[in-house]
Amino acid sequence: MVLTTQFECRISAKPKKRMLMSMKRLLQVICFPLLLCMAVPSFAQDRVVTGKVTDSKDGTPVVGASVQPKGSSTGTSTGSDGSFRLTVPSGINTIVVSSVEFETMEVDITGKSAVDVSLKSTAGGLSEVVVIGYGTARKSDLTGAVASVKPKDFNQGIQIAPDQLIQGKVAGVQVINNSGQPGGATTFKIRGNTSLRIGNQPLFVIDGVIVDGTNARPGVNASGVGATPDANPLNFINPNDIASIDVLKDASATAIYGSRGANGVVIVTTKKGQSGLPRLELNSSVGISKIMKKIDIMDASMYKQELAEYGLTAGDYGANTDAYDAILQEAFTTNTSVAVSGGNENARYRLSGSHLDQEGILKGTGLKKLTANFNSSMKLLNNRRLGLDFNLVTSQTKEKIGAISTDAGFTGNVISTALQFNPTRALRKPDGSINNYFDGSTVNPLELVEGYNDRATTTTILGSISPSYKITDDLEYKLTYGFNYGTGIRRTSLRNWVNLENVGISTSHPNGRGWANVANNELLTQQVTQTLSYNKRLSSDLNMNALLGYEYYRKEFKGTNLTGRDFGAYQLDYTDYLQFGSNDTKRFSSFRNPLQEIRSYFARFGFDYRGKYLLTATFRADGSSKFGSNNRYGYFPSFAAAWNINKEDFFHSTVINMLKLRAGWGITGNQEFPSGASLAKYNFNENNGGLSENQLPNKDLQWQQDIQANIGLDFALWNNRVTGTVDYFNRTTKKLLFPSISPQPSPGTTIWINLDGQIENKGFEVTLNGNVIRTNDWNWDLGVNATFVKNKVSGLPAPIQTGALHGQGMSGTLSQLIANDHPINVFYTRDYRGIDPQTGQAIYVDDGNVFYFMGNPNPTTILGINTSVSYKKLTLSANMNGAFGHVIYNNTANSVLPIGNLGTRNLSSNLFKNGESLTNPITSSSRYLEKGNYLKMANATISYNVGRIGNNISNLNVFVTGQNLFVLTNYSGFDPEVNTDKQVNGIPSVGIDYIGYPSARTFLLGVNISF
Amino acid sequence: MKYKIVLIAALMVLLASGCNKIDERFKDSLAANSGSAVTAADLLLNIYRNDMRALQNQDNLWAIQEHTTDECVGPTRGGDWDDNGIWRVLHAHTWDANHNYVRGAFENLGRIVYNATQVLSLSPTPQQEAEAKFLRAFANFFLIEGWDQAPYREPGGDPLAVPQVRKGADGMSYIISELEAALPNLPNGPTYNANKNACRALLMKCYLTKGVIANRNAPTFDAADMAKVISLANDITGRTLTSNFYDNFAPTNNTISTENIFTGENLGGSSSGGVRSRYFCSLHYNNNPSGWNGFTTLGDFYDKFEAADKRRGDSYTGVTNVSGLRVGLLLGQQYNQSGGALQDRKGNPLSFTKAVKAVETDPNTLEVTGIRVVKYPPDYNNGDNVDNDFVIFRYADILLMQAEAYLRNSPANANAARDLVNAVRARSGASALGSVTLDQVLDERGRELYWEGWRRQDLIRFGKFLNPDELRTTASPESRLLFPLPAQQLAANPNLTQNPGY
Repeated sequence: MVLTTQFECRISAKPKKRMLMSMKRLLQVICFPLLLCMAVPSFAQDRVVTGKVTDSKDGTPVVGASVQPKGSSTGTSTGSDGSFRLTVPSGINTIVVSSVEFETMEVDITGKSAVDVSLKSTAGGLSEVVVIGYGTARKSDLTGAVASVKPKDFNQGIQIAPDQLIQGKVAGVQVINNSGQPGGATTFKIRGNTSLRIGNQPLFVIDGVIVDGTNARPGVNASGVGATPDANPLNFINPNDIASIDVLKDASATAIYGSRGANGVVIVTTKKGQSGLPRLELNSSVGISKIMKKIDIMDASMYKQELAEYGLTAGDYGANTDAYDAILQEAFTTNTSVAVSGGNENARYRLSGSHLDQEGILKGTGLKKLTANFNSSMKLLNNRRLGLDFNLVTSQTKEKIGAISTDAGFTGNVISTALQFNPTRALRKPDGSINNYFDGSTVNPLELVEGYNDRATTTTILGSISPSYKITDDLEYKLTYGFNYGTGIRRTSLRNWVNLENVGISTSHPNGRGWANVANNELLTQQVTQTLSYNKRLSSDLNMNALLGYEYYRKEFKGTNLTGRDFGAYQLDYTDYLQFGSNDTKRFSSFRNPLQEIRSYFARFGFDYRGKYLLTATFRADGSSKFGSNNRYGYFPSFAAAWNINKEDFFHSTVINMLKLRAGWGITGNQEFPSGASLAKYNFNENNGGLSENQLPNKDLQWQQDIQANIGLDFALWNNRVTGTVDYFNRTTKKLLFPSISPQPSPGTTIWINLDGQIENKGFEVTLNGNVIRTNDWNWDLGVNATFVKNKVSGLPAPIQTGALHGQGMSGTLSQLIANDHPINVFYTRDYRGIDPQTGQAIYVDDGNVFYFMGNPNPTTILGINTSVSYKKLTLSANMNGAFGHVIYNNTANSVLPIGNLGTRNLSSNLFKNGESLTNPITSSSRYLEKGNYLKMANATISYNVGRIGNNISNLNVFVTGQNLFVLTNYSGFDPEVNTDKQVNGIPSVGIDYIGYPSARTFLLGVNISF
Repeated sequence: MKYKIVLIAALMVLLASGCNKIDERFKDSLAANSGSAVTAADLLLNIYRNDMRALQNQDNLWAIQEHTTDECVGPTRGGDWDDNGIWRVLHAHTWDANHNYVRGAFENLGRIVYNATQVLSLSPTPQQEAEAKFLRAFANFFLIEGWDQAPYREPGGDPLAVPQVRKGADGMSYIISELEAALPNLPNGPTYNANKNACRALLMKCYLTKGVIANRNAPTFDAADMAKVISLANDITGRTLTSNFYDNFAPTNNTISTENIFTGENLGGSSSGGVRSRYFCSLHYNNNPSGWNGFTTLGDFYDKFEAADKRRGDSYTGVTNVSGLRVGLLLGQQYNQSGGALQDRKGNPLSFTKAVKAVETDPNTLEVTGIRVVKYPPDYNNGDNVDNDFVIFRYADILLMQAEAYLRNSPANANAARDLVNAVRARSGASALGSVTLDQVLDERGRELYWEGWRRQDLIRFGKFLNPDELRTTASPESRLLFPLPAQQLAANPNLTQNPGY
């Protein structure tokens, strides 16, 4: 309707004007916001210029480019076909055409009524606008280390959360998909590992709203299955709604986020409407996924040979089974998103929706996600000084979660039960029922595929409203209220025939028991930010900008959990009739975390002398309710300077177009520790069992301190065809927040303290982008980014143990140390020297009684390679990422597939006829440390840009994407890109692989249409 | 223009200054500030329900008191029970300051000391104060006996202060004085609560152990202390030997035992400690209940029993008739309830052997080596929350301690000692002894109290702990008479000093 009205406006003759205007008034009442965004035709008597704006590279229309008469504040923007129609006041003979990612052009229109404008892409992105904390800056004015990734550079394929979009794209950033689980969590590290505890992800800011890393999806610890891994807390965003992801890396950029900036800040900006005709965009794709790489286990004939090798007569049941078939499937994905956007120079809007239905490659798992997003931006009042931005992101994800836990013994994980399933046993009995209960402790993987039912629904609403007022031309006040509300509902059950203790059949429960759990969590964070920004040209050479701000943030989190057993043999979901369970097995609990509040004051000052010398200083004071009463406020300063060498008079080079030196220093903080850690807290025990104090209080508790220095060089060569950045960083993390051992007597084993000692991460980041070939038909871009980082721990009073290993025979086994003069989480275990051919037993240095430092789990080199080759309308782009110089502990090979399984369960094919004794104990050692080096073809896309079709379709693009096409590695597990959560008391592990969700290889066929 | 700036500035200040307090307030728990609703009763209940129950598990305190002795070993069985060697080093007497169960035991005991001390700062009633002091002394007894050092905090002290440490004989005198102060205000029962008889039993242990604290390598026993032990035993009221030995450990032991003095209460079906691990850790997968096929006792220990001694093996109603499982020590072929012979997972007969090794290497006997122990008749009805109360002190222990004190006090008491030992033996069908020596008392304590967590202390008190056994072929160094202070605790508390030899 709006579309039609506007269309009529544009072509209408004057007599109809009155009627249309009155109709508009009527409509204003009915649908105020949309109409606000409508183009208001101009009726000035000035002359009209029309034209079309195209990309100089391929002649495609540039949509949404701003076209303004020079020196005027009015203007228009190009429509979906790149055309514009601009009214130019008399006396102005130049128009200014600008667009993100293009160089701004001034076009002479003297005596012209139509011009075509061809915009050059800013290969170096110098005029590119980069989002920084509480504002934006031109890239050329930046003094800190900030990287910006735009949609055209995002990873392609099925990407659920925004962090996956920039994997391998930014130097200094390591993103690991912890497992192949749809919507699963990632490990996101900027400039090395400083984590002495979990929860050390960067701070995510979405359209100015700080997003807490908390996921409203409740955790569950299913009976005999264990704790399933977390979902990604950023799943609620539709990747198609993202306009840019900016990564603030060094302290001069992040210090404005104070006590939450230490791990870096990732700012996600969603797409906004652009002036012009309403645009309709449709993206749709379908995909199919299969397991990328299997762990080699014995098949029936190999297993029989192995039985014969060891002279075992039992253990061959005659069948020939591939248990992978029992648990894996070819999985289908459909993904559709629609967006409508438009507006004029005073009001813009964008409305979008998406639907994703992703099946997991593990049977019975998957993710469905629905999102809807609306934002608008308006300039109000006659003087247009009052601005109003509104943004709403809503999302619901429905997950079907598999029985894959990070800490199961050998029976409760669907992957391990399949890996271990004796290949000579049949999965099903002749009558089709599951072949189970054949020996006391073996679980048929089908029992967990069909008998474990785990559904989670997470609903998220992120919103903000932000009025601003330009008090003078130089001074602007802005108020932002933002919130993030999430609920998670999780219903989990195990059928009464799953052979797990207290779930399945036993002497006391001949009909089995069954188990069910229902959990709900509710999260609300709110934020009020006020800023006063001031931009003033102090003299013709000196420009100053200043920002003053105040922010208040609060977080509430609460939840309930209900569980029970004994639900009879009814064919219903136990979670739907919990009351039927036996009373003495029913448990319920609830929690409500203390209100967490942060009150902050911050400021930034910037000086710019002739565009050559740039200075920035920031300061933030953060008061947090979590800090101990003796340390309520923390203070975080930073300073940075930059020198645009190429702007010096003495600089003459035909090769170097741009050369800029940056240096910065700052202090940031980290306060990711549990609420209540500074106070004595008494928890309620179940069943009127009294009150228990969980840990010693610490009134001195404060933020962890991160001091970082950065020196960087940005350059552009050969007409910006080669651009690059080199950064050296030196990060020292002190006052380490840590659940330290509390001296006994003590109510708990730990006390949160700021531990003496430091973690140092220093290294180089290099980014190089080249436009290798640029002809009329051909274009080849190549980008490489690499990070070289060294990590060292020093000054700790005592080594800290972590890295729990799990499985049979591994109770209480820890594999990693955080110890002085070693990289964080260094592996510390037995030194394995092979199998003794006489005894078949493993040989260890010092008989395994002494442990040694056996390897670094932190990659020393992280690599990303991105390339795009296009020939006319055909484009091939590919993104690779890799990590090098680290080892992975293969806990799966260690405890799930050992030699001792022979005769009852399956084992790794690597053990075939290796002379190992069946009694060689399962024990931790360097035998299971494998080199983790890998290079992965993360995604590759071939797309064909059909272009305009008829009058309605302004652009059509079809593509095929392959994800996880191949991985070059010697690692024997599912995927070297892995990080199973093996924390010990909140102290995280790194680089341990334990029966996680296998990664998928996916092929997608899709189409993008703009109308 | 200026007024606008002032206006905005005023607005910012206004919004910034609203509700300046950002103190944490707990919604689902209580804070310890003044006027807090936390009471002494709440904290006492927590000690019984959580802290004391932690002692029932197979790890930590139980592991270091039993796996270090001649009556228990946790063999590595191929893929099973290696657990990074944590069990093996206990039996081999080669544990170090990083041993997780030595640390875990120290922490469990420290938690009891802490929480009992907190009770004292919350205006307890005289009985609550006595209970807290008893529980704190109980934990301190294990700390002084095992580590010779017991860190402490004063009630209401600064939580960030480094705890002071009591050592050796001073520590033991302090424990005794605390117990004597607590005794008059303790109730007579029930057994799962701190009570007068329990306090007397612990005092007996203290007086018997005083000589050990003074000289662990060659304990000497003061006659006056032994007299105290004897008179305390006589003060114990209302307790008699239960006619069926196993009734003391049965699911319903809180009603059918006449002998138990101090127990850890387990509420069948709803909340329990880990006492079921006593049989789960030992039974084979194909036993019923399906166990974890781990711990065994040793052949030499088995041979200390007479064949007729029901403590060596017996059938038990509610167990044997249900599952075929016998109670006591399990050797040889195992059967199901209908008399069918059980098999192991590889199809071999499930027949437990006397021979056992620290690391089993023969694939054919991997699953069946070692004599299994079922002292607590399994509770088949309550899943993992079994009803069997955990036995800490019982009357048979009192009688044997009294017999020991008689012998240590004077040869003239030999007959009194013999009669006490024989009373205990007679209950289980063992023959009467003509006379008893201290060595025989030690053996009798083993036969009666096996796997109840006293063996290490007994062996040290009788000077036999360092001797080689079936699996440990050389005598252990004297340093093994004490546990090492956990390395982490040593780093956290400079007032602790590492024990010699670690």
